[in-house]
Amino acid sequence: MDAGIEVAGVRRSFGSVQAVRQVTFTAAAGRVTGLVGPNGSGKTTLMLMLASLLRPDDGELRIGGIDPVADPAGVRRVLGWMPDSLGAWPSLTAREVLVATAQLYDLSRDAARSRADELLELVDLTALAAAPARVLSRGQKQRLALARALVHDPRVLLLDEPASGLDPQARIALRVLLRRLAAEGRTILMSSHVLSELEEVVDDAVFLVDGRTVAGDRIAAAATRVRVWRVRLATDSSRSVEAARGDIAAALGRSGDEIGLDRRDALVPFADDAGAVAGLRALVGAGLPVVEFAPAVGDLEHAFLDLRSESAPPPPPPGAPAQGPTAPAVPDDRDDEGSRA
Amino acid sequence: MNPHRLRTIIGIELRQRVRSVGWYVLLGIFAAILLGVMVLSLAAFSLWSGGNEWFFSLVIMLVLLLVLLVSPTLSGSAVNGDRDGATLAPVQVTLATTTEIVIGKFLAAWISGLAFLVVAVPFLIVSTFAGALNPGVIVSSLGILILEVGIVAAIGVGFSAVVARPIFSVASTYLLVAALTIGTLLAFGLGGAALRTPQVTVSRDVDWNAVPTGCDPGAPSPGAGCPTYDELECVESRSYGETPRFDRVWWLLAANPFVILADATPPTYRDGYPSDLFSQIAAGVRLAQIEPDPAPRYDACADPAGSAYDYPTTEEQLAGTAPSWFVGLLLQAVVAGGLLWWGISRTRTPAKRLPPGTRIA
Repeated sequence: MDAGIEVAGVRRSFGSVQAVRQVTFTAAAGRVTGLVGPNGSGKTTLMLMLASLLRPDDGELRIGGIDPVADPAGVRRVLGWMPDSLGAWPSLTAREVLVATAQLYDLSRDAARSRADELLELVDLTALAAAPARVLSRGQKQRLALARALVHDPRVLLLDEPASGLDPQARIALRVLLRRLAAEGRTILMSSHVLSELEEVVDDAVFLVDGRTVAGDRIAAAATRVRVWRVRLATDSSRSVEAARGDIAAALGRSGDEIGLDRRDALVPFADDAGAVAGLRALVGAGLPVVEFAPAVGDLEHAFLDLRSESAPPPPPPGAPAQGPTAPAVPDDRDDEGSRA
Repeated sequence: MNPHRLRTIIGIELRQRVRSVGWYVLLGIFAAILLGVMVLSLAAFSLWSGGNEWFFSLVIMLVLLLVLLVSPTLSGSAVNGDRDGATLAPVQVTLATTTEIVIGKFLAAWISGLAFLVVAVPFLIVSTFAGALNPGVIVSSLGILILEVGIVAAIGVGFSAVVARPIFSVASTYLLVAALTIGTLLAFGLGGAALRTPQVTVSRDVDWNAVPTGCDPGAPSPGAGCPTYDELECVESRSYGETPRFDRVWWLLAANPFVILADATPPTYRDGYPSDLFSQIAAGVRLAQIEPDPAPRYDACADPAGSAYDYPTTEEQLAGTAPSWFVGLLLQAVVAGGLLWWGISRTRTPAKRLPPGTRIA
């Protein structure tokens, strides 16, 4: 693990506000590690400490074996950082931003120019190379920020909300790019609120709640707890969802109250995977036209929501039908994205 | 400090400036004001043939005033403005060191201030010749203007790195410039008056009490029973008082940019007296260096009519005083350099403390 990220017992406060209380994790080279946590959980503060911009009050940080407090210049040589708010010098063009950044990494003028063109190609901004950074859309700025983070071919990448503002095509391109960069042996640590998206690209996840990393066993426990599954029946529109709920309840031998509704789908809690398998069997056995049977929330989201509900009193009763994609926690975070800049 | 990175930072700053419309508007207004003053003063002084040195030295002072007014806006938000715009942190994570970033911004602000001087140069030249000033005025005033722009740029960038919000750092820069221009004047006046020392004035004069009423000892033919000066006895009187000690605070006035400009300009005297505003101001601040006599003596008996008494001219009095302009520049450079240094240490990463109310990125 030559170029990984190691964090042990890191703490940082701003005055009386404890932004990061106790963070310990490692991110391995060649893998994409997701940093998951609600707003205010300390993700950005942690990123800033890793990026050698903020000094931790306590604890040890290592980026590729280098301590960012003792040797910031050494860390900066191997580290690419994409901040959550892109600031680009407003009247410089996209190409100039990249050329200037490359020159600040000690590339010669010619090398900086050719590197800038390569990167513009990579993030699909060649057409906008001569446009001032000011006129770029949010998604285009995100791509420019990513290109800037890659300017000196860093072995470790810190990406704070890299996908926010990207259109679906750019998201797919980002995913492909990140997988490729990881396959080249780089360490990638990325945070995102969009857990479903993070789930598609990360190998490992670090959960941050109230400035603390959540221990692995708690995550494992969360993953095996009661989980809601989405069941959709192929029914014509004349039949009400209520009727479908009745059919499903009858097939599973449960009361209708246990089953939640989300638009045209039923949300059925199962204690574990085995329960879900048995449930699907029962539904099919009862002759119901099941077209979709899937976890209502992804693995990350499930674990995340579960950890959150643990820390937020009072915990909802197990099997409560409210836990679905419409639960308030995640959409709230998404709404907040704009104000984080 | 790596020159390649320093140049890159200066390049980023300057490129943004030359691409903003506001910059050209500011240069245009600056030129328009100077042109207006110039045209009006040439028209006004075409009436007289001499004596306009005073006025044209005032025009050069006006250039300094305008430069002092413009410079803080060029530098006062250099660092915190970038922090607000989230463009500072991406530079801080590169190999550019904090010193390079802050010094680069300072040099960029200095260079952009020099653009105003380029606009002002024709006016300086015209003023010098129209006012029949010492041609050395062009070189010396330009040199001082260049240095003053640099000092204000350093103050502005220093404040912008220390103060969290751009408006407050620009305001702080203006306040410090005001302190240097007006504050030094007040501090000089009040300080000199506050640091009084006792002074005994010894005067010898004829005994006026011995002169009978109705007599005038100075009259060409004193009347009967009236004594002449020679017949009167000389008496000594002492008055005790306090005298302000401007010689202890003159260095305050020396830090005034206008005094620096005036004092650095080669002085011109006519019949031993200053012939333009620069020489007048320079004479004022240099005379202030002279320690007041704790016990001055006035002897009216020695020469009762006062006809032969020869007061020294300003030029003669100034012999032996120190030129104050480099003392003033040194003081300013210490303040400006100190602010830059403070700014650098406040911007250093990994940051231990953040200015309240700021985010790093």
